[in-house]
Amino acid sequence: MVGGRAAGIDRERAMMPAGNSRRNYAVLAVSIAVAAVFIYAGIDKIRDPLQFADSTAAFAILPAVLINLLALGLPPFEVACGVLLLAPPTRRVAALAVAVISVMFFTALGSALLRGLTLDCGCFGVGAPSRPRMWLELALDVALFSIALFVYLRSINSLSARAP
Amino acid sequence: MSIVTPDSVRIPQARSLGSQILRDLAVLVLLAIASLAAGLVMNRFSPSPLPIVYQAPEQRFDAELTTLVSAAPFKIAPAATVGLEEFRSAVEGKSALILDARPSEFFGQGHVPGALNLARDDFAHDYRDLAGVLQAAHDKPIIVYCSGGECHDSRLVANALLSLGFGNVSVFTGGWDAWSAAGLPASTGSAR
Repeated sequence: MVGGRAAGIDRERAMMPAGNSRRNYAVLAVSIAVAAVFIYAGIDKIRDPLQFADSTAAFAILPAVLINLLALGLPPFEVACGVLLLAPPTRRVAALAVAVISVMFFTALGSALLRGLTLDCGCFGVGAPSRPRMWLELALDVALFSIALFVYLRSINSLSARAP
Repeated sequence: MSIVTPDSVRIPQARSLGSQILRDLAVLVLLAIASLAAGLVMNRFSPSPLPIVYQAPEQRFDAELTTLVSAAPFKIAPAATVGLEEFRSAVEGKSALILDARPSEFFGQGHVPGALNLARDDFAHDYRDLAGVLQAAHDKPIIVYCSGGECHDSRLVANALLSLGFGNVSVFTGGWDAWSAAGLPASTGSAR
């Protein structure tokens, strides 16, 4: 039975268009890249939660009672997203999480830029407050959101393709 | 044999996509709760745990300052300020004690030659380290700087020094940004 199933999968692969296979490699490559970014960013924040709490407070969006909870909860969530992105069965949910986090950071950064604030985002490590860096991180959030959406939609498509 | 129209295919597909996204969002909520729990556990066993309610740097600094001196509660008062030219001549003539209020990582990456690191975020520790130098320079002018622009660290440190009895303390508001933008010399390394 196992051999028969494997033969079936091989037949499926053989019938798979070349473009589809290329897209699968692209999904794998961008997933690894985004996972690396998220694991790095998460570990960096876990090492210094106070710094991340100060960066979060500088946005003047959240009340004091939520800032430390975010500073403690978001970094392990980012690391978990990074790890889950690496495994195909959990990649879909992790990609959705990356999209949600990117939207969250984009909204916070965008509102800070509109309010004329100059701050250290704290999104991808510690740095000096700088508006050019804020714009750069805003662009990075857009890129991460686009990649996450691509990975999520690809995963949904392959899920529906496997459905009976 | 049944004939399937394109519309009748799309509607169930859209429904299943919607329910799939909802299921994924539910998993995300569970993952977020588990992450928060993990974060709280790590914080519980951290050598310097965060309180549940955030305290601003000024509040933390106030608490830290009271470990050095039993003074009245810390108040932010306007400190005297100096411009780039006055600061530069003080640095070059060594007529003032120059203090860098930025975190030690930034101090290590580059600072004004001759400056000592009295970081706002580690004030009590640095103050004790520099106690000898500071007491020797008690009657000398002291100029404090931080990154520049909107940074408050230099004002907080200057104010703390005034509270601790230093009489001639001012702030170089241009900070490291103005100094480095002017192409003036810099030192690197963390040696105090």
